[in-house]
Amino acid sequence: MKKKLKTRIDGTYAFFTGIGMLASLVVAGIIVPLVSKYDPNEVSSSQILPPSSTHFFGTDILGRDVFTRVFDATLIDLGTAFIGVLIPLSVGTVIGTLLGISRNRRINSLVGSIIDGINAFPFLIFVIALVAFLGPGLRGIIIALSLVNWARYARIARTRAVIVNQQGYVEAARTLGYSRFRILFKHIIPNVSSETRAYALSDFIIVIIAVAALSFLGLGVSPPQAEWGAMIKAGSGIITLAWWESVFAGLALCWAGIAVALIAEGLTRRLREGNQK
Amino acid sequence: MSSIDASQNKKKSSEEISSEQKLPDKNRIALRRTLLGRVARSLIVSFWVMVIAFSLLRLAPGDPIRNALGTDATEEAVAAMKKQFGLDLPFFIQFFNYLKGIFSGNLGISFFSNRDVTEIITTHLPVTITIILLSILSAIVFSIPLALFVALSRRPVVTYFFRTATSISLAIPGFFLALLGLLYFGTVLNWAPAAGYEGAFPNNLRYIWLPALVNCFALVPILSRVLHSSLMDTLDEEYVETGVIRGVGKIRFYWSYLLRPSLAPTVVLLSYMVGVMIGGTVVMEMIFSLPGIGRELVQAVDTRDYVVVQSIVMVFGLIVVFLSFLGDLVGYLLDRRVTLS
Repeated sequence: MKKKLKTRIDGTYAFFTGIGMLASLVVAGIIVPLVSKYDPNEVSSSQILPPSSTHFFGTDILGRDVFTRVFDATLIDLGTAFIGVLIPLSVGTVIGTLLGISRNRRINSLVGSIIDGINAFPFLIFVIALVAFLGPGLRGIIIALSLVNWARYARIARTRAVIVNQQGYVEAARTLGYSRFRILFKHIIPNVSSETRAYALSDFIIVIIAVAALSFLGLGVSPPQAEWGAMIKAGSGIITLAWWESVFAGLALCWAGIAVALIAEGLTRRLREGNQK
Repeated sequence: MSSIDASQNKKKSSEEISSEQKLPDKNRIALRRTLLGRVARSLIVSFWVMVIAFSLLRLAPGDPIRNALGTDATEEAVAAMKKQFGLDLPFFIQFFNYLKGIFSGNLGISFFSNRDVTEIITTHLPVTITIILLSILSAIVFSIPLALFVALSRRPVVTYFFRTATSISLAIPGFFLALLGLLYFGTVLNWAPAAGYEGAFPNNLRYIWLPALVNCFALVPILSRVLHSSLMDTLDEEYVETGVIRGVGKIRFYWSYLLRPSLAPTVVLLSYMVGVMIGGTVVMEMIFSLPGIGRELVQAVDTRDYVVVQSIVMVFGLIVVFLSFLGDLVGYLLDRRVTLS
């Protein structure tokens, strides 16, 4: 009894720490570029100054304020990752659910094997290749992420939909004569998406790192827009001379990832507690 | 090593007993059927991998040949080049020719850079595979004791700390870690060279130990977590208690009673994680300037050498399909209760 109580507190603690970390990052991402004395993309003083009271994170190789740039990049990184998760989440959930409840075995196994084919490609490699064909930039990254990742959500949703489709409440809704559309969107998809949304949270970490990695490889945002991966890359050339640009941009990326990881960890612990009861 | 051999002999003899008791023919037929089904599925998935990789080039915006020749190429030059590479043929015939090429080990010549694609892959793939193998090996060495320690400690605090630490370490991007590692080990301690590479075995370790360690940092949390949770399930089994009461030897207890029944999910996961490893290795090769296939891929992307990009993607897709088949198979052989999905 005592042990269970402790687990729940622990899960809640991780969850709210994560929420707090993420919220503070978003708030800083909105406020810092507004109140900062420096423009994120304009040269503000001399080049590669170390961190000081005037430039908290120092300046980069062009003399831009790293502090302002790190927080100017926040919404770009978080936003790209968010859209890059949201689109495949919705598309994959709907397609997977439709496959799970359809009775047409031919279409089912055909689309199923295409999904397996897409999932077979190593994630980052496939995204890099697609970005190459679609053209670099945030739009290309989001399209590439959507084209690759929907298949993973579809696979989870399909497995789940088969189970949900046989549940009593779906049978009951059918017996009551509700329309197929209503059963699909009011009864099946909400129950399927609880599973895909849980995966989306851990996927968000992978995606935000992938977005930064693509920029690091030079396939992301076009300069002068600040972006964490691009900043890590820009600073890496002079890292022995001036560590601050790479390190602070990397720490911001870690901060975002750890925040989401804690939220996910807290939620799974709470969920596990709920299931045990 | 001898303990593993011994336990495998043990496994054989115990299997012989159980198969005599449990209708051997039926067992064998079931095994053959699941195996054949899994082979068939892998072949179908491989087919789609080739179709998708092949379609990439055709889905790219604009005419690839025109892009390759530049904007001021004449119509005749474009048409001649198309004919030379068989791109004027219908889609299905092109795909058939492409398949024929794959099976004869000839991936063609890039019409962007005139390089032999098969040669690019065969020269650069071994470097990448060495890094991945070293990462996996070190990840196994780290995760098994870690998972065993956490599972056997049975103290909630250790488990909470382990779970939180593993989920946090997953959120740390490998390329950032690699950069810090390069800064510290490369510049401060001078243990790892930042550039250059030697292909021969003992010397190449000097160049790849750090990238492999960073890769392994992403793999250990996942592996040890899954192994830990299956170890916890195994510890609940009654035969473990029986083993303790009977006082079986330490090595036999750890391997036959604890690890072997718990390893199957980890092996299946490991084969899946190779795909993730490959992605991480691309970035590692860029940071440490190693002449692997990942660096070739990024260079090909930069120079818009689409044929090379397409072939590298396809080769990796096929490798992953094969490995996930292998992982499922080994998982199944370790634990017959696992069904081949």
